[in-house]
Amino acid sequence: MTSPLFFKVAVFPGLTSIGIIIALFIWLDRKITARVQLRVGPLYASPLGGVLQSFADLIKFAFKELFIPRNADKFFFVAAPVLALIGGAGLVGLIPFTPEWQISNLELGLPAFLAFVTLSPMLILLAGWSANSKYPFIGGLRSLFQQTAYEIPLWLSAIGVVMMAGTMNLIGIVQAQSKPWVIFLGLSIPGWYIIPQALGALLFFITATAEMERIPFDLPEAEPEIIMGWQAEYPGFLFMSAAGASFVRLYAFSALFSVLYLGGWMGPAPVPALLWTAIKIIIVSSLIILLRATFPRVRIDQLLRAGWTYLLGLAFLNIVITYLLVVGPRI
Amino acid sequence: MVAPGLAEIFYYLGFIVVATLVPIIALFLIVTPRDAKPSPMKLETYEAGQMPSGRGRTRFIIQYYPYLLIFVIYDVVAMFLFAWALTLRTLQPPGSGTWPILIFMGVLLVPLAYSIHLASQRDLW
Repeated sequence: MTSPLFFKVAVFPGLTSIGIIIALFIWLDRKITARVQLRVGPLYASPLGGVLQSFADLIKFAFKELFIPRNADKFFFVAAPVLALIGGAGLVGLIPFTPEWQISNLELGLPAFLAFVTLSPMLILLAGWSANSKYPFIGGLRSLFQQTAYEIPLWLSAIGVVMMAGTMNLIGIVQAQSKPWVIFLGLSIPGWYIIPQALGALLFFITATAEMERIPFDLPEAEPEIIMGWQAEYPGFLFMSAAGASFVRLYAFSALFSVLYLGGWMGPAPVPALLWTAIKIIIVSSLIILLRATFPRVRIDQLLRAGWTYLLGLAFLNIVITYLLVVGPRI
Repeated sequence: MVAPGLAEIFYYLGFIVVATLVPIIALFLIVTPRDAKPSPMKLETYEAGQMPSGRGRTRFIIQYYPYLLIFVIYDVVAMFLFAWALTLRTLQPPGSGTWPILIFMGVLLVPLAYSIHLASQRDLW
């Protein structure tokens, strides 16, 4: 039972590491937000600035009583956050951390990832509907409307990468970025797609933040407006699943961004490949967390309008730019 | 012996099955040893401290319904563009697939622009 595949599923890119990394991400989220707002954040749970705070919270949540509201649809009320957690883990299973450290190297890795992502607003709507309460219901509907705003720009901004790489396999996409570009006098820069795909990367970053439902796009949760929205009725362990699922998606999307635009595991030699992936994931996720600490929330009509006009228009512009880069000015 | 691509799909399905079992087992481990003390107040839904009144699944404004309709139609477009983007480098002569995709997008984008224009007009909805 100690085959590499079992180790991969159970330990490193798989389940144990997902749990630990999510706990560390929750700590990072609280710590960065606290620093931006001139607070201290978690402090006492370990000598290292409260790293173990999330684990302590996990134990606390696990011992809370699980009670389900009287009028709720019990099966779907319990199933929705657990399925959201599973869906997040399914995303991580597609990411190549290095060529060896990947659970499943699907030929259609990128569309499979994006297709898996589309499930989460459905689950949020299911959670909001089954709770049979007002705030969760509003949150679920907002999630549905929000999906229409970001979904198509998300897919279209990822198309630029497929046009450049000529493959949808995630390992193939990283390998296509391995050739450095020489600018002049032998000076070369890494051939990462962040440079030719700058517009696409920006759009992907914005739409991915909208998909993760983090501030400035956290309309389905919106603590000051609708009191955690779809998570309002969840007790103990189920709340932990519901809140943890969004952090699993933060982890998966940071990893996907580093694979698509930042050259994945590639970097100068003395640092191991896996460490490069980790560094890139931490940088991207810290940026997303910084957005949360600094921006106000958008209104839903502004989000829908901007998604269908600016984001969609810029995504088509990005496809045109990429076409000129790949094929040249001819039809 | 299965094809390599098929094996990867089986790995992925296996991973999903394991990832499904773990939270369910955790849920059972957490639920079973507990003595629950339900009370009528505890089982009410949350409504900002008031006693909840009316239906939980309230009526809602269908204000953004046109966007949902456009979404259902145009989400499929991305899939066609993926197929085109994949063959962009290998197509010979280069760029020979461009006119068909331009016509396809032109046919689809003109109605899209008009429907977004209509969706922004509140009086219609």
